[in-house]
Amino acid sequence: MHVPEVEMHACVTLEDASALLTRYAPRARVLAGGTDLLVDLKTGRANTQHLVSISRIGSLRGVWATAEGLRIGALTSITRLHHSNLVRERCAPLRDATGQMAAPQIRNMATVGGNLACAVPCADLPPILTVLGAEVVAWSPRGERRLPLPQFFLGPRRTTMESDEILTAVIVPPMPAGFGAAYARFALREGNAIAVAAAAAGLRLDGEGRIADARLTLGAVAPVPQTVELAREVLVGHRPDEPLFEKAAAAAELAARPISDVRGSAEFRRRLVGVLTRRALDTALRRAREATS
Amino acid sequence: MTSLRTLRVNGHDYTLAVDAGATLLEVLRDKLGLTGTKKGCNVGDCGVCTVLVDGEPMNSCLLLAAESAGRSITTIEGLSRNGKLTPLQEAFIHEGAIQCGYCTPGMILAGTALLRENPAPQVEEIKEALAGNLCRCTGYAGIVRAVSRCENYRGDGTCGDRTAHDERDGQGNGRAPYRDPGGKPFAAVGVSMPRVDAADKATGRALYTADIALPNMLHGKILGSPIAHGRVRRIDVSRAAALPGVVDVITGADVPDTQYGVSPARYDEHVLAKDKVRHVGDEVAAVVAVDERTAERAIACIQVDYEELPVVLDAYQAVQEGAPLLHDRYPRNINTHVEQSFGEIEAGFAASHYVREEEFTGNTIYQSPLEPHAAIAYWEHDGTLVLYTSTQVPHYVQYMMAHVFHMPLGKIRVIRPAVGGGFGGKAETTPLDLCAAILSRRTGRPVKMVYSREEMFHHGRGRHRQHMRFKLGVDREGRIQAFKSEIHLDGGAYSSFGVATAYYAGSVIPTLYHIPNYRYDGYRVMTNKPACGAMRGHGVPQPRFAFECLLSMIADDLGIDPIEIRRRNAMAPHTRTVNDMDIGSCEFRATLEAVCEKSGWDGKYGKLPRGKGIGVGCGGFVSGAGYCIYRGQVQLSHEKGKEPFQKRSIFPHANAVAKVSEDGMAVVLMIGAAEIGQGSDTVLTQMCAEALGIPPARIRMRSEDSDISPLDLGAYSSRVTLMAGHAVARAGYAVVEKMRPFAAALLQCDEADVAARDARMWDQRSGRSVPWEEAARKYFNANGPLVGTGCYKPPDGLGGDFKGGTVGTSPAYSFGSAVCEVAVDLETGKVRIERFTDYHDCGTPINPMAVHGQVEGAIVMGASETIFEDVQFDEQGRILNPNLHGYLMMTIKDAPDIFSGLVESYEERGPFGAKEIGEGSTLPVLGAVAHAIANATGVWIKDLPITPEKILRALKSREPQRGPEAPAAALART
Ligand SMILES: Cc1cc2nc3c(=O)[nH]c(=O)nc-3n(C[C@H](O)[C@H](O)[C@H](O)COP(=O)(O)OP(=O)(O)OC[C@H]3O[C@@H](n4cnc5c(N)ncnc54)[C@H](O)[C@@H]3O)c2cc1C
Ligand code: FES
Ligand code: FES
Repeated sequence: MHVPEVEMHACVTLEDASALLTRYAPRARVLAGGTDLLVDLKTGRANTQHLVSISRIGSLRGVWATAEGLRIGALTSITRLHHSNLVRERCAPLRDATGQMAAPQIRNMATVGGNLACAVPCADLPPILTVLGAEVVAWSPRGERRLPLPQFFLGPRRTTMESDEILTAVIVPPMPAGFGAAYARFALREGNAIAVAAAAAGLRLDGEGRIADARLTLGAVAPVPQTVELAREVLVGHRPDEPLFEKAAAAAELAARPISDVRGSAEFRRRLVGVLTRRALDTALRRAREATS
Repeated sequence: MTSLRTLRVNGHDYTLAVDAGATLLEVLRDKLGLTGTKKGCNVGDCGVCTVLVDGEPMNSCLLLAAESAGRSITTIEGLSRNGKLTPLQEAFIHEGAIQCGYCTPGMILAGTALLRENPAPQVEEIKEALAGNLCRCTGYAGIVRAVSRCENYRGDGTCGDRTAHDERDGQGNGRAPYRDPGGKPFAAVGVSMPRVDAADKATGRALYTADIALPNMLHGKILGSPIAHGRVRRIDVSRAAALPGVVDVITGADVPDTQYGVSPARYDEHVLAKDKVRHVGDEVAAVVAVDERTAERAIACIQVDYEELPVVLDAYQAVQEGAPLLHDRYPRNINTHVEQSFGEIEAGFAASHYVREEEFTGNTIYQSPLEPHAAIAYWEHDGTLVLYTSTQVPHYVQYMMAHVFHMPLGKIRVIRPAVGGGFGGKAETTPLDLCAAILSRRTGRPVKMVYSREEMFHHGRGRHRQHMRFKLGVDREGRIQAFKSEIHLDGGAYSSFGVATAYYAGSVIPTLYHIPNYRYDGYRVMTNKPACGAMRGHGVPQPRFAFECLLSMIADDLGIDPIEIRRRNAMAPHTRTVNDMDIGSCEFRATLEAVCEKSGWDGKYGKLPRGKGIGVGCGGFVSGAGYCIYRGQVQLSHEKGKEPFQKRSIFPHANAVAKVSEDGMAVVLMIGAAEIGQGSDTVLTQMCAEALGIPPARIRMRSEDSDISPLDLGAYSSRVTLMAGHAVARAGYAVVEKMRPFAAALLQCDEADVAARDARMWDQRSGRSVPWEEAARKYFNANGPLVGTGCYKPPDGLGGDFKGGTVGTSPAYSFGSAVCEVAVDLETGKVRIERFTDYHDCGTPINPMAVHGQVEGAIVMGASETIFEDVQFDEQGRILNPNLHGYLMMTIKDAPDIFSGLVESYEERGPFGAKEIGEGSTLPVLGAVAHAIANATGVWIKDLPITPEKILRALKSREPQRGPEAPAAALART
């Protein structure tokens, strides 16, 4: 229950951090907020001898409006993200996730970069960021790479980042006109509990109120955030109504690949997926309509 | 890797050598001695380690000290300035937001951060801000009150408005004083004064065992078995012993052969395994080293070769012929079989108009106090063992240490520092106590041992999971004719309290309703899981849950209102039950009337929309066990002959000394009653003050040290208020008796006319008075020390003359009723417990605020165990959720609104009319929640916990079938 013997490297530049990661690979890990990594180190799930702390790289902290959309620095805490005016104005659906996850203390420490890079299936930001079309910026001395989220996650605790790459930011493109998105999660308790199942939905309505585009991504029910392609097929071109959303929910239940654990059986999770999908779609639709009018 | 870092803590810079892997929590506690920051889980789940970092609350267990360099850190010690408390600290003290106090520093810091941003927060905002801070004691109600009413406190010890919660307090509504039966008002009793230890707890000053560091101290760790059942073939400790920093390693070969436990007839535990391990975590070896980190590394180096044996985890399977046997001495793994029959059970069913049979299953509940168990042992040169331990039963620990080490009790000094909650989980001697003592003797140095959260789960002693087959017969009006109960209690690997648990599961059921014919068969069964013990409500909550459910089912079947059926069966005062329990005062009916009215029951039951539900549950408990756990007198067990059982207490169960200071201005009250958060130091102070005729503020409590305070059996069976209360009151009266002649001389009156009140001695005839202290000084001048003693023995002859007739006996019984209101999301099965209305008959509430605190805490704990909690095991007997993110307890956001009220009642056998509240308050809760959920959903869930998944499954089984291919079919259909 202690952090094992480690060496700590506090970096002030990305170059330093990356060089250390290279030097000590594979026994080095980036340390951001530490809310995931420290638990893993204490419980023996992570085996690392070098912690490369990036918390002093100030340029990674903040939320900026850019031509490409919102740029969220990797070190931005969940709390800061939640209270950012830019997020409130331009990327409000993200707040469905930031407002519900973990507990205040954890949200004050946990970073956006950590939430993505840990690649834990029940993490709350990935599904909604996926639906919003976000891209991850991965930095290494070779340069910057942009990775759309579906190409970022490989499996539980595995991403496509190289061992010397550092996640520096997430770019969320502007939401198109007529677009609304929402995130719905189910947890066993109201405070400080991780998601048992989650669904993020995005809908774009055309001038006639038909669904012009749709995205649905599930959390906690597959090794990676699970985008439900079938849902798009089901939804696009139709007028939104209850039976249509039922169909999309059924598609989501089919696409889910849940496991059974202490929080619930696979069967239970699958049922939740349907319910959460409908609820996320309902909210997304309401928001899309608000965005149109 | 260690490096120098400068940390800015509470405004001061400290430059320290910090290990790269050291958390801020470790550095604050171990290097800076700032022990107000607590460790509860070490992984971000509980919030007791909360500090402010640049003003934001963070978990110091997840923050590396090196990372916090250069940031401004505030701990609880940094809030008050020059001893002046902040308004929020004062609000916590006065609003009843503190019980054991282990969560308090973290709560206050999180609340402080909220109030800085938002000085007048809404309740929802408070709940959001404190959602990362668990509290196991208060039910969060006092905490919400404290934060929302903080603005009334000015940080100068005064409060603008303190009248808020009075409607709840029965007699006189808290505005008029409580009175004795003669109509004389009490002065110190019946008053909601703040706890005597609240300020220490609000400032982080209170010391818990793990906060104490002795010079030259070593740190120990115990190696637990990784398998659930096996024989230990060989242990190789050489690698561990060779590790730098390791001082000593012991195994089963190094510990006494004497077995220990709780029930004298069933001592079946060895300090460390001698031959077999019987559950995952069973203790195999122990290490002591220069620090905990080294000890932890060392136990990982110990190599144990096991011969694995088949595992049995289910109580019904364990009793089958041929099932793996845990102990040779318990054939078919039956640890205890209870067979009790009263009246004519079959005739009772034959005469019944309606009979219903149901099976219910309980869950494995772990007390999960926020403070992990801890012990520090050292030996004096004269051979006295000194043990600091986090316990609710210092005397039984002393008794058991004496038993294992074959030494006189008088050579063992037990010190009980502040205890961060117990709920029964700290009601027995732990391997920490025993190993620390052994390792300390071997090394000649103080040894400290603290459980991790995971080790607590493996140590166990939680609530037995009970499998209950109940049959209840009633007449046309719903009056109970016969009740048959068969229970298999899943006991885990050792006896612990289990014998008593098995008896309690049967004996307390007939105290609530008239049951003319009753049969109980109980089997306490051994399985390869951590031992179960006594948890709040000992043995009774699950059978009470099942009984209440069954009664409500029958009420619905017969079309009788569920509250009405309870009224018809309710216990009457001064009744001897069918199983010879002697009921004295009983205002059960009044509690039913009160919850019915206050909750608006008649307008709601059967009238709510689907998804909304209301339910009722009732319960009550003993006010202290009638008999001691061991037989005979206080003496080393090996020296006692075979003790025949006598139906009386051999020695007083509670003993107090009140010593008046030489100037008469203070009284030191000494009694070994264990303050574990329930508030015993405070109510005992009040009762002693009442007897002495002085304000409670003049009394200092010394309850923590067996060298100072005489024996009290401890905090279990809700015994302290009644039993220790009598002892301290009698000690107080004894002092007044001694002062009487001196006061009479000063007042020139008859001794018989002297009375003590309001810190004066009065001549009741003339109305003249002299200061209390003046009379005390006169006594001292003449006679030397002014000391009064008092003791209490339960009445002789309690209980019937059948086997087990003593269990469940008590001088007095409490009663209570609760109405629960829920909202259930019928699509996900998620339950939101919205409101609780509770009324109790606890006799005279010595401290109404403390009583409500117990009720609020019990409601949240009980509701949490009904819908969330369950220790889960895999097929090999490994715990799947030995942590506070897998074993979920209610957070402040899950807790319902609670109204706790009291009905008027006075118990002749209790001190100042008092009974109990601590455990009785749990009993109505489970049934009320289950009933409300059934009422909302239309389905009864009969196995605990009532999870969303079970609700959905039950709802679904009533719908037309929707198979696994359903989603595809649904897609195809449209
Ligand atoms: C009690 C508790 C409750 C929690 N509840 C939730 C919850 O409800 N929802 C949820 O989603 N999560 C939850 N978490 C998990 C965790 O808090 C989040 O995932 C958090 O966002 C992780 O961020 P961090 O900065 O703390 O990551 P860290 O622990 O610092 O890092 C996590 C992983 O990501 C890597 N990493 C971090 N930043 C970078 C980077 N910039 N570049 C490359 N690699 C990087 C690290 O090497 C490490 O492997 C909870 C954790 C705790 C302890
Ligand atoms: S000890 Fe840090 S959250 Fe529990
Ligand atoms: S007072 Fe909150 S945990 Fe005990």
